[in-house]
Order: sequence, then structure tokens, then C-alpha cells
Amino acid sequence: MSAVLTLDQFAVALRRGRGKNVPILDDINLTVAAGEMTALVGESGSGKTIASLGVIRLLPRGASTAGRVMLGAQDLTDLSDAEMRKVRGRDIGMVFQNPLSALNPSTRVGAQITEVYRLHTGESDRAARARALELFGEVGIPNPADRLDDYPHQFSGGMRQRVMIAMALACSPKLLIADEPTTGLDLLVARQIMALLTKLRRERQMGVLFITHDLSVVEEHADQVHVLYAGRSVEWGPARSFFEQPRHPYSQALLGAVPRLGQARLVSIPGNLPDPETRPPGCRFAPRCSYREDACETAYPAADTLGGTVFACRRGREIVPEVLGAVPQAAVRARQSGPVVLQADALGVDYPRSAASFLRGLLGGRDRLTALSNISFSLQRGQCLGVVGESGSGKSTLGRAVLQMIPYHGRVILDGHDFTTMGAREKRAARLGVQVVFQDPRESLNPRMRIGDIVAEPLKLAGMSGSRARRDAAAALLNRVGLNDRMMSQFPLAVSGGQAQRIAIARALATKPAMIVLDEPTSSLDVSTQAMLLNLLKDLAETDGLSYILISHDIAAVSYMADTIAVLRGGQLMEMGDAASVLGAPQSEYTRELVAASPHFRSTNKMGAASGAVAVADKSGF
Amino acid sequence: MSLSLAENMAAPGGALRRGAAARLLGWVGDRTMLVSGLVLAVLILLFCFLGALIYPASPVAIHGHHAFQPPSGAFPLGTDQIGRDELARLIEGGFSTMVVAIPAALLTFAIGIIYGMTAALTPSWVDKILMRLLDALLALPGLVVLIFFASLFAPGNTELIFLLGLTSWPGLARLVRNEAISQRGRDFVLATRQFGGGTWYVARVHLLRVMAPILVVNFTFLIGDSVLALSGLSFLGLGVKPPMTSWGGLLQTGLNLIALDPWWMIFPSAIMIFASIVATNLIGQGILARLGEGR
Amino acid sequence: MIRMITKRLLTSIFTLIILVSVVFAMTHATPGGPAFSILGQKATPAAVKALNARLGLNVPWWDQYFIWWGHLLQGRLGFSYLLNRPVTELISEYLGNTLMLYIGAIVLAVVLAIGIGLVQGVTWGRWPARLIGAFQLAAYALPTFFVGTMFILYFGVEWQVLPTGGITNLRDVHPGIIDYGRHLVLPILTVGLLSVSGLSRYFGASVHEELNKDYVRTALAKGLTFRAVLFGHVLRNALRPLVTILGLSFPGIFVGSVLVESVFNYPGLGYLLWRSALSQDYPVVSGIVLLLGVITVVGNLLADLVNGLLDPREIYD
Ligand code: SF4
Repeated sequence: MSAVLTLDQFAVALRRGRGKNVPILDDINLTVAAGEMTALVGESGSGKTIASLGVIRLLPRGASTAGRVMLGAQDLTDLSDAEMRKVRGRDIGMVFQNPLSALNPSTRVGAQITEVYRLHTGESDRAARARALELFGEVGIPNPADRLDDYPHQFSGGMRQRVMIAMALACSPKLLIADEPTTGLDLLVARQIMALLTKLRRERQMGVLFITHDLSVVEEHADQVHVLYAGRSVEWGPARSFFEQPRHPYSQALLGAVPRLGQARLVSIPGNLPDPETRPPGCRFAPRCSYREDACETAYPAADTLGGTVFACRRGREIVPEVLGAVPQAAVRARQSGPVVLQADALGVDYPRSAASFLRGLLGGRDRLTALSNISFSLQRGQCLGVVGESGSGKSTLGRAVLQMIPYHGRVILDGHDFTTMGAREKRAARLGVQVVFQDPRESLNPRMRIGDIVAEPLKLAGMSGSRARRDAAAALLNRVGLNDRMMSQFPLAVSGGQAQRIAIARALATKPAMIVLDEPTSSLDVSTQAMLLNLLKDLAETDGLSYILISHDIAAVSYMADTIAVLRGGQLMEMGDAASVLGAPQSEYTRELVAASPHFRSTNKMGAASGAVAVADKSGF
Repeated sequence: MSLSLAENMAAPGGALRRGAAARLLGWVGDRTMLVSGLVLAVLILLFCFLGALIYPASPVAIHGHHAFQPPSGAFPLGTDQIGRDELARLIEGGFSTMVVAIPAALLTFAIGIIYGMTAALTPSWVDKILMRLLDALLALPGLVVLIFFASLFAPGNTELIFLLGLTSWPGLARLVRNEAISQRGRDFVLATRQFGGGTWYVARVHLLRVMAPILVVNFTFLIGDSVLALSGLSFLGLGVKPPMTSWGGLLQTGLNLIALDPWWMIFPSAIMIFASIVATNLIGQGILARLGEGR
Repeated sequence: MIRMITKRLLTSIFTLIILVSVVFAMTHATPGGPAFSILGQKATPAAVKALNARLGLNVPWWDQYFIWWGHLLQGRLGFSYLLNRPVTELISEYLGNTLMLYIGAIVLAVVLAIGIGLVQGVTWGRWPARLIGAFQLAAYALPTFFVGTMFILYFGVEWQVLPTGGITNLRDVHPGIIDYGRHLVLPILTVGLLSVSGLSRYFGASVHEELNKDYVRTALAKGLTFRAVLFGHVLRNALRPLVTILGLSFPGIFVGSVLVESVFNYPGLGYLLWRSALSQDYPVVSGIVLLLGVITVVGNLLADLVNGLLDPREIYD
């Protein structure tokens, strides 16, 4: 098939401060064929977004580029600015992450779509509107005629992304660039968006450049995969060969870092992505690579190929990945029936909401909105309860109720003591036994406190005297989560996201809690960092007998961690049980859909990890 | 004086939010702002508080034979219409401006923080009442209320401090309250509560700490505002009482005689007022810019 | 929409009630009561008592409070001690002049602020924006009355192109519109320029911030020119905070006009306020303060409603 987009030795350098430009992206060679999807994969900081902005020439001021960007037979780098404007929107459609901010909040969505169509076709307002209507139908927005005049905030996340896609398709572009279009969407919704993109590109013979940090999203949709690391391509080629046998150690680690049910240990990559200004001279992955040899550090490895993909690694041919296929499957952990740590009886949460009736609203009347109803469970020492659900399912509410952060009804019993019968003082002391780790580690650490003080703060509040003793204790806590205590005098902004999250864990451990509520602890982290963190949590559970409630929308992470899984939807408990049985043989239709929508999990099933996998895999097919 | 500075601070996106404003300002430029503001402020303070030591002439002595003279060797900044030494009066005026403006800013600062924090940390019905009261107070321009009270009794320095302090806090109070409310739901506050931090502890250790920069910036702006308000009051004849004077008073005297073109009676005080406001704003904006970039 | 307006109206009314009470408290905070300020601190007790009775101050304060409310609702604000005329009458005499100045200055300020702010927002971080910033700071740091007087000195005295005080030519029996206009130029310029400083800086920051939002990138990726994005998408969103801040800055602009009216001997409310304050004619002062508060509260309400029109989220949420 003919290539829609070809990047030939494409490079971008950005201006930082007053100095000279810093190279962000080097020597990228990539093609997108008509009707196919090429996935550009990289973790944050790899330069993938800069690549997409470079293609449409919307880089920040002062950026410089090199190499060629061929759209069909036309070199975009030769075009004048005015000519380039004609290409944008007409020949290349763009879909961005987070459609709520990517759409103008104060303009009707219909107008935002007709705007681009009229601009490039010169058609009348009426024709443009008809076109918008047609597009709405095509991307699957129900009642398109009614919705054209709505504003972006009136759509749900998934529908908003469909609006974005409709806008990008308005002029039937040859190429669609989608920059993390599913990030932040619920699993099932993300899956629908992926299916839509696949359908559209096939029907329209449109090339799609799909940019993502998450390999698993593209596993079943991409035709080509292109992995970026620190601004360079490390491995690329047909998706099939890539997923079958990745050759570059980084690709292998990325795939191995995705949790699968019953896996004993995740592959994690030590260290951090190098900053563009301090990238190693030789192989950029060398400082983190376990196959490194001396020669790797002197020269950038030449591209090599074997069995389909091209990889930039000196040892790509010889490394036999132990990661894939070799996952120990004897997974279901021996169930220790320890004492019950936490028990919840008929837990429910109502939120007050301004009254629906206007008059009562004036009088300050309130309606109640049920966020969670009638949930009961118990958690044993050293075990992990995974709570799965989409946004709005009440999973975070459940966590907050257990943490005593919000009023609830029903009972929460910690170590045999019922919170509802406690006095304020007693309750304050008992709350120390349930700690919390939030999603965004930067938000959960006070940016103006030193890391040492942050970790020591619970000790100080608990009345531990002597700043020296507290410092030592804090250092010990940091060491336990695998951090160097030299960072005690730094501020949280100076450390990476994964490190910050470990600091939050160290702080949570300070009061020696019986259990920790993990509220989406890894969703803001890159895959490799996530693996490291999950491993750490698993170790802590084993050594300390810590119990967890792991709240997550990510079935993969839950399947790796949880002994018991509860599935929530709209505040109701859909299903609860043993992890293997909930995931392997889901009872409710909803759980089945969720499991089917989680690609990493399904691919494990394909390998025959759990019984009942066949049915699931069948259902997932398109 | 169209906007109270607290409003200026609440510029869209919040002055402290990452990115936006400061990222694009080259950092050298920002530091220049802060440093030049500090240097200017120190010079002004030295002039006001130590000037009398270096130039010990009396600000009230009347040199009848030398009335209304342009600058000369004997009177570096000339004399006023009844023959008082203008330089001595400029120093004295600066002193009385600063001894009112700085404590007044401190008082404003204290009331604003306490009121704002109280509103943010009390139950929502108390907050609602406090905020409506604040709306009402914000609808009354501080200087007009000041004029009202100043007209009722002739204020001395202490009264002026209290009047200024008591009339200019609402803007700051609202800023503090909004900022505290947006901070108190952040995860690190929730985490602190989980390991036993009470409301008071959270306010003291966490909220004030994260808000510290914005508060410092506002304090510098408040001093500048106080200087401006004082000079406005003096111009209306309601400020520091004769024979003592303030920069505003000096400027007003000069401007009243404008027909005679006494430039030496106008520009020195105008420049001092101008320089004080510029200094405080440079410091404030300098801090803001550096913060934005540090994030 | 209706629900939002009603809610906003109710809070505004509540704010107004508090406002009236605050002004009432202010007028009663006079040491020794108003009689002393009228008669002087050495007044005989008998004289004070007589005056109190005449002013209705001999009843308990809560009675006075309700009587005052009653008067207010009938549109009565009391009598000027000095001029012995109803305050309402005095205010309505001066209000028109102030409104001309006030509205003229606001229009000037908004127009200039939008123009300057656009340039500043677009060139943020580069020299045009920095230069504008320096001018904004300078305009902010100069005392209003100084600027006004300098205008008088140059435009009025040195170059003699514009009148320097009052609102009409005294010799003119039938002042024409042109005469009014000529008298308004300098006061409007003075008040307007000082307001421009804050408003344009604010608007500049908000244009800059909007320009960095994702939807701008989307619009550019559609192939629109930068100009089309700026005027078609960014401007409207950046105007919203400007409207809010404008509503909030009404009192501040009034403070500017008090000083300016005094400088130009311009017969407006600010001038009246100043004269009355100097002669301790407090019913007039409190009447003006009250009126101003009401204008501000209503102004904020209007700003919110305009914002509701500019931003669909305000209506539907
Ligand atoms: S070239 Fe060497 S360091 Fe780089 S990935 Fe291959 S083995 Fe590792």
C-alpha cells in the first residue's frame, strides 16, 4: 500500500532558556500507509508529541527541524506557512488527548466543525452544517441533529472525543494524527474509540499515526509499531512481529512491565529517562539496560533486523527474552487465612446535592445522591482487595469512607474496633491504622516541605520527640521503599513521579498502619515505573503483612495485585470474589465486558493462563 | 488605582500556577526585576529613616528671608512658600509616610489572613455569612470610607494606621480565603488529616506554607498601596497634620502653587511616591516570576 | 439560566442589606455621636440634646436603624447639615456629571485595555510586552492627582488647548455639547489612563493564558490563521475574566474619580463627597457611600450576567 506519511531522518530541537537549541528528537524514520495504523509508542519525555507537532509544523517558537516530512509525494518542510495552513485540517486531521480542553469551551461543537469545513472547501454555512451532521452520524453520536448546537461540556468524555474525531475528519484527510486519544477515558469507552478509529481508517483508506505511551492499547489495532526512547527510535516494524518477538531490551521491558494475572513478578526498568540535555552519548538506554556491554556506551548502535522488526541494539540478535511466554503461571498464591483486618458492613454513602426543585433549593433544601450503596466485605491480613470500576462507579468513595474522610452509613470495623461507636479522640487514633496513597504523587506531597519533613510528619504528629530520632526514622522509611535518604533535604518537585509516589508510600508506612488504601496509585505513572511500584507494594505486603484496598480502573494492575476483586458500577456492587474466578469466569455481563476490554489481560488468556479464557477471547474479537 | 492589588494577583490562572506567565520570561529578566526592586526599596528606606542623620536640618524651621527659593547650595532642594527646607521636609515626610504605611500594611495583612482563613476553615454557613459581609465591604472603596472617617475626627498617626488597616483588608481576605479553599482539598492536606493533623495544624503548617509566597508578594503590594492611599488622603487635606508633613502633603502643597511653577516643590515628592510604588511592585512581580519559573 | 439569575439576585439583595447595615454602623460610630461633629466637641449638653431630638437620634439605635431603612425604601437619605437640602436632591444634581465622567473613563479604559492587552498577550515574554508592562507599572505608580495636575499644567496652562476645571464655561449661558465635551476630556483621560494600567495588564495576562490552552492548538491544527484563532476563539474566552474584574473594579475607579474631580473642581459626586467630608456633613457622605455600594453590587451582578452570556457553562451548570 502507498505511504501517506513518511518521516525521513526527521529531527527536532527546541529552545530552552537562552541557550542554543536542545535536540529532542533525532533521526526518526517512519511511515504510515494508507488505511493502516502506525503506533508511535514512548513514555513521557520520549519526544512522541513533539514528533506529531513537528509533522504539522506547530512546534513552539524557536524550534528547529531537520530531515524530510513527506505527505504523499509532497515534502511538507518545503511549503510556505500559508501553504502549510492549507494542509492542516484538510490533508491532516488531528485528534488530541483530553478533548475537554482541546475543544473551545465557549463555542458550540457544530460551529467548531463547520469552521474547518468551510475554511478548506469554501462551502456555504448550510452545506457545512449538513456535513457536520453526516460526520456526527458517522462517528456514532446519537441524535446528531440535537447535539450539533451543544457545548463541549455537555458531552461525556467518550462523546467529546467522537466530536474531536468528527472535526478531524471534516475534510476527509489522508492522514489522521491521534495523540493519546484514549488516555483518561474509561476502559470500555477507550475500546470503543479504538474500534471507531479502526473502522474509519479502513472505510476511508486513511492513514493513522497513533501516539501513545501504552503498548497494550494498540496491540490489536496497530499495523506498524514504532518505539521511541529518549528521542530516538529503538525498534520498529510490523506490529505482529513486534508483539510476537520484541528484540530491543527496552521494548521487551515495556511489554514485560504490563501486569498479567497470576504473574509473580513484573519486569521493571531501574533508573529514569535521561533529560534531553544529559543524554548518554552511546546507546541511550545503556544506563538502564541489563545487557549493556562497554561498546554500547561509546557509539549509538546501528540498526539491525531479525525476524521482522528493525532494532537499534548491539545485542538484539542474541538476547532471548525470558519475559514473554516464560511467565510463571502457577500463580494463584497460597491463601493464608490470617485474621480479619478490616470489615465493612452495609457501607453506603449519600452525597447532598442542591435540590432539584427550585423552591426547595431556595430554602436550602437538599436532595441526596447515592454514591455507594450497601457494600459489605472483609479483608484479611496481608491480602489485597481490588476495587474495579469506571469513573463515577463509587470506587473512590468506597476508599474515602473506609478512610473515614467522608460521612457514611453502615459500619467499618478495623481490627475489631467499630469506627461508628468511637469518640472523636479515639477515632483520630484509630484512623492512623488506615493510611492512603493517592493517584497524583505530586499533589499528595506539600511542594514547600522538604522530603525528610514530609516523611517524618506523621511521626511528629504522633508525638515522637527529638528531631534527630525523627530524621533517622524517616531515613529508614525512605530506605525501605528503595530510596536514598540523601534526598531528605530536597523538595518534592525535584524528584520524579515514581520517586514521589514512593515517598508517599514511605509516609503512609510511618504510622505502622494495618492497611493502606491505594487510590489509583499507578495511573499517573509510566508503565515501567508502575511495575516497580507494584512490585514494591507486593513486597511490603509480604514482609509486613500489610493489607491493601487497591482502587483502580486498570484491570491489569488489579489482577497482578489482588486476592479478591470487587467490581463496582454506579455505586452498586456488581460482583465480588476470588481474583482468579472473577477475572477468569466473570458472573455478570458488565464484568465480562470489562475483562474483555482489557487487552493485556486477554492476551495472557490467549496463552492459556486461566480457564474460561476462550469465551472471553471470543467475545473480544471484532 | 483602578484595581486593588489583591485583584491583580488573582489574575487568571492564579499568579502561582505553573507555566503561563512566568515560563516565557527569561529568568535573567526576572531576577533583574527582583534585585532592582530590592535595591530601590533599601535606598528609599535608608533615605526615610537615616536621612535625618546625614542631613540634620529642621523640617519645620522657617527661614523667612529665603522663602520660595529653587535649589541652592544652602537648600539642596530649595524652600517652600514660607521658607522651610524642602529636603529636610522630604526626609521628614518620608519618615511619616513609612511609619504609617508599613504598620498599616502589617495590620491589613494580619486582619486579611485571619479573616480569610477563618472563612475558609469554618463550616460553610459561617463562610457564607462572612463572604456576604466581605462582598458588602468590597463594594465600598477603601479610600472613600477612609475619607468618611478621617472627616469625623482629625486622625493622628496611630489613627491613620488603624483607619488604613481597617479599610483595606477585604481584598486580601478574599484572596486568602479563595486560595485556602482551593488548597485545603488537595491530597496532601487529606493525607495529613489521615495521620492525625487537625484543622489548626493543617492551616498553620500546610496552608500558610503553600500560600507563603503569594502572601509575601501581597504584602509588598500592600505597602505600595498604603503609600498611595496616604498620599491621596494628604492631597484631600485629610492626612498627616501640619506642621508635620508627608510626601502626599508636600506634593499637594506644590501642586496648589502650580501657577508659580515651583518644580522643586513638586517633583521630589512625586518621584519618591513613584519610586516607592515601583519598588514594591518590582519586588512583588519579581518574586512571582521567579516562583512561576521554579515550578 | 433563570435559576442562576434568581440566585445571583438573591445574594445581591442579601449583600445590599449587609451593606446598608455597615453604612449605618459607620455613621453611628462617630465618637460622641453626630451632634458633636456638627456642633463641635465643646457643645453644651442641652444643645446636643436638642439637636439629637431634631435629627431623630434620641431613640434607641435599633429604632433608628429601622426608621433609616424606612426612609431608604422611600428614597430618602436625610438632610445635608450644611446646605440644608435633602441628600437625594444633592446627589441627583451631581450624579449625572459623575456618570458622564465615570462611563467615559470606563469606556476609554476598556477599549484601550483590550487593544493593549491583546498586544501584550500575544508578545508575552518579548520586548513589546515588557515595554507595555513598564508603562503599566509607571501609570499605576503615579498618584492620580499628580497626573491630573500635570495635565492641567500642560494642556490647560502651557498649551491652552483644553479647559482645566469645572464642567462648563462660566461665561456661557447655554453651554453646548461641545463645551461639556471639552471639559470632560482631561478628567476622563486622567481617570481612564489610571484604570487602563490595571485592566490592560490583567487582560494581557488572560490573553496570554488562553493562547497557551489546548483548544488554540486544535484551532491552529485545523488550518486557521493565527489572527483567526486570536479573534475567533481566544478573544471571547479572554474577555470573561476582564468583565469580572471590571465589575469588581468599579469602587476603585470611583476612588480615582474622587481625586480627579477634586483636582479639576469637577462638580461630581466625588467632589461633593470631598467637600462634605471636609465640612463633616455626614448624611451626604453616607448617602454617597451607600449609593456607590449599590452601584458596585449591581455592577458585579451585571458582570456575572454578561459572563453568563459569554460562557455557556455558567448557564447550564
Ligand atoms: S545497545 Fe547495549 S545498552 Fe543499548 S539496549 Fe542494546 S544491549 Fe542494551
